[in-house]
Amino acid sequence: MVENKLVLATPEELKQRNKLAGTIAVPKQVNIAPITGHPEEHVKNRRVCISRPAKNSMQSGTNNLDYWRIEFDNRERWENPLMGWVSTGDPLSNMEVEFNSKEEAIAHCEKNGYKWFIEQEEQAKPSRVKNYGSNFSWNKRTRVSTK
Amino acid sequence: MIRAPLTKALSLGSSTSPIHKIAAAAFRTTAVTAQIPAKAPEKIEVFVDDIPVHVEPGTTILQAAAVAGVEIPRFCYHERLAVAGNCRMCLVEIEKSPKLAAACAMPVMKGWRIKTNSEKTRQAREGVMEFLLMNHPLDCPICDQGGECDLQDQAMAFGSDRSRFTDINHSGKRAVEDKDIGPLVKTIMTRCIHCTRCIRFASEIAGVDDLGTTGRGNDMQIGTYVEKLFLSEMSGNVIDLCPVGALTNKPFSFAARPWETRKISSIDVLDAVGSNIIVSTRTNEVLRILPRENEEINEEWLADKSRFACDGLKRQRLVAPMVRIKGELTPVEWEGALIEVGQKVRAANGAVAGVAGSLADVESMVALKDLLNRVGSEAVCTEQSFPSEGSGADLRSNYLFNRNIQSLETADVALLIGTNPRYEAPLINTRLRKAYVHNELEVASIGPKIDLSYRHNNLGDDSNLITQICNGTHPFAAKLKEAKNPAIIVGSDLLARPDGAGILANLQNFAKGFKSTSALNVLQRNASQAGALDIGYQAGVEEAIKSKPKVLFLLNADEAKVTRDQLPKDCYIVYVGHHGDEGAQIADAVLPGVAYTEKTATYVNTEGRAQQTLAAVSPPGLARDDWKIFRAISEIVGAPLPYDSLEEIRDRLDDIAPHLIRHGHLEANSFQTVAPQLSAAPSISSGKVSVQQLSLKDYFMTDPISRASPTMAKCIQAAKKEGEKKAASASC
Amino acid sequence: MAGREAARKVVHQVRPLLSVDKDEARKRVINLYKTWYRQIPYVVMDYDIPMSVEQCRDKLREEFLKNKDVSDIRVIDMLVVKGQMELKETVEIWKQKGHIMRYWKESQDPKPTDFLSKFFNGQN
Repeated sequence: MVENKLVLATPEELKQRNKLAGTIAVPKQVNIAPITGHPEEHVKNRRVCISRPAKNSMQSGTNNLDYWRIEFDNRERWENPLMGWVSTGDPLSNMEVEFNSKEEAIAHCEKNGYKWFIEQEEQAKPSRVKNYGSNFSWNKRTRVSTK
Repeated sequence: MIRAPLTKALSLGSSTSPIHKIAAAAFRTTAVTAQIPAKAPEKIEVFVDDIPVHVEPGTTILQAAAVAGVEIPRFCYHERLAVAGNCRMCLVEIEKSPKLAAACAMPVMKGWRIKTNSEKTRQAREGVMEFLLMNHPLDCPICDQGGECDLQDQAMAFGSDRSRFTDINHSGKRAVEDKDIGPLVKTIMTRCIHCTRCIRFASEIAGVDDLGTTGRGNDMQIGTYVEKLFLSEMSGNVIDLCPVGALTNKPFSFAARPWETRKISSIDVLDAVGSNIIVSTRTNEVLRILPRENEEINEEWLADKSRFACDGLKRQRLVAPMVRIKGELTPVEWEGALIEVGQKVRAANGAVAGVAGSLADVESMVALKDLLNRVGSEAVCTEQSFPSEGSGADLRSNYLFNRNIQSLETADVALLIGTNPRYEAPLINTRLRKAYVHNELEVASIGPKIDLSYRHNNLGDDSNLITQICNGTHPFAAKLKEAKNPAIIVGSDLLARPDGAGILANLQNFAKGFKSTSALNVLQRNASQAGALDIGYQAGVEEAIKSKPKVLFLLNADEAKVTRDQLPKDCYIVYVGHHGDEGAQIADAVLPGVAYTEKTATYVNTEGRAQQTLAAVSPPGLARDDWKIFRAISEIVGAPLPYDSLEEIRDRLDDIAPHLIRHGHLEANSFQTVAPQLSAAPSISSGKVSVQQLSLKDYFMTDPISRASPTMAKCIQAAKKEGEKKAASASC
Repeated sequence: MAGREAARKVVHQVRPLLSVDKDEARKRVINLYKTWYRQIPYVVMDYDIPMSVEQCRDKLREEFLKNKDVSDIRVIDMLVVKGQMELKETVEIWKQKGHIMRYWKESQDPKPTDFLSKFFNGQN
């Protein structure tokens, strides 16, 4: 079945249709800030921190740390003197977006026109062979005195 | 775009996890070694939940599982402590083995198939959890560890869904008396599960054999044997290590739950190590400070001053600009204060000087220097002196800790001259101790007899010893020369002596003959010093005093190195800083700046590594970013500085020295060998080598923030009391 | 600090939204502008706003010039679509007087932009 529209189309219309079905070349660097509706002052004056969540030093688990996130810089907060509730005038204070990789996070910031910086690069962990016996070795300082 | 943990966890091949990357790398390396016959000890292949991994021989099951991206639950095991193997939580099944093995202590064997999630393993975990919970109080709702408790989480994940504990004899659960181990760590010993992490930390890392166990089985107790305080400059770390709520943060007790705080990564500035920290805040208030892992600097430890002095950020703060009216500092509006200061600066006609103190950040120091340069003055200096003869502060290698902190672990011979790293930089001391324990490091010191938490050879405190070492007549000199990885650590206070240049030159000449090029290290005490010298500040206040200034800017300068009577009578002193301390007292105008938790600023640590703090809370009252204050003054004076925003001032930093904005990176120094050629005629005057911080009570208050902290005051009280007790028991 | 990555000059192929090239996008923008321009006298009349036609046209020009630097064809198309939606809402009187007056932001105090005023206000 051929659509009626296609049959009745003029050659120009057909050409335009073909073009629309194809692709166009645009710069890879796209800034969507004008169409996001994001207030200008929050696009221009904010710094975005791209980081991996740090391991909580109080705990030993590491399962939920394997992603990158973006956070906006901290703005003023104030406390309600009666109830102690905390207010802020910052619409982005609770925004935290998670990404699989650093590159995705950077691409997202670039696309939205945020100023970004990376907080900490990954560091290689030195491996250390651990040995239960070293607690008792007679000629090493690893010998344990208190138990 | 949105993270999909499930798919990630399921598909190993497409995963981006670093752990998996390591595993993938391990594959590749073994493939290569298989082709080229044996060199390094051959890696062995094991299977963790059917994931093949290749690990070094001697690796424990737990470590091999970590390589495969499988986390085995544990209580007693800790990466940075010795293996204890007493909690039994990490029991795993090994195929064809009749009994379960403790993963933390069992080295892997070739071809083992380890099952971390089999029926047997799960049953074992459930059993261990049941025994642990039988004697663990059910006080999670009032426990400070609640929400970040390993026991809580693991009981949820691996425990049974019901309890068989019925207490038929109404004897109650095991109860243990609480111990008083000091003003920082609160103990609720009933909650203790005997993982012995705190004991191992105290004896291995802190080097204080104070904690231990008494009794056996159900009656086992952790304690100090006799009632005494656990006094160490690293004591706060046992709070982090404790997997339950037995050891908690005393100043932070009952203050907040972990899930209601905001956590901001930052840098500690109370010593020159630049430890990475996490600032927990709520209601615009810093509640506590925790260490953040950084292998190259603080591993995952934090010194007590950095951790507990945060209550000083709320006290003694300068919240409004003040101007001295009729001899009294009176709060005024910013406009008034700036106009007053601006007029004085204009009237001074170039006779202006600036002094930067220990907590000043690089941005504000740059702004101060630029401001002073615009009004025609070059007199900017730091409170801490450093010799200017010879190449002085022109070569970075002269004033930095050239061998980086991490590589101290590989040192084999170390000489400490006029420094007490235990209190000047506790985290560098723990690295030295690590080398002492694991690398058989031999340490000698020149200076007063001090307790470094590891055995060392005190050569004496005579300055002539330095000369003897340098000309090779002292027996220790030969040891240093023969050592593969020698390290000489010189205290910055020693170099502040009049003959500091001579000492430095002699040591540089001596270090030329070493096997390692970066053996000579200067240990700074201030977070600001390395940064200040990097951007061209002169070290020592003499320069500022000599210039007879009509206006003197004190930027966080609170060490009282400059006094009124050293200055001309009509000198107008402007203090910019955050605490009402020595500097604010002598000032004619006080402009409130912000503390390190309130600003985004750059600091350079003693290694020369630039790092940035992030603003965690907003500044109190009318306080403003320090660099903005100088920028504002410059506009009033009529010579506006060309930066309005943080980005613009960072660009300026980039112009001065690009390393200042490469946060976290360490730039290599290459001028160690050139320095001795430029040095002045070396001479060391005789006398004694001294250090400022001799014992623990000298450690807690060294800067305006810790001086304002009530917790630090309590620590000093406790340290003094313990000292007296020790002296009394020694005399009788 | 990495700052912004240097603008990469690389282009890539994407599916078009409405326009297939710059000229077409430009035509759409001008078309939208003209429609608004012609509609303004009616807007002033219908909504009874205290603004003259000239003032409204100045504002129209200003709003368009705000995005004069946008170069991505898809973003231009999207802006045009948004502009058409605005126009439709205006023409159909789905808006109220206040919505129109919001273009002038009369009730907002302008935030200072010079360093000293920002400093005195404690504004970042």
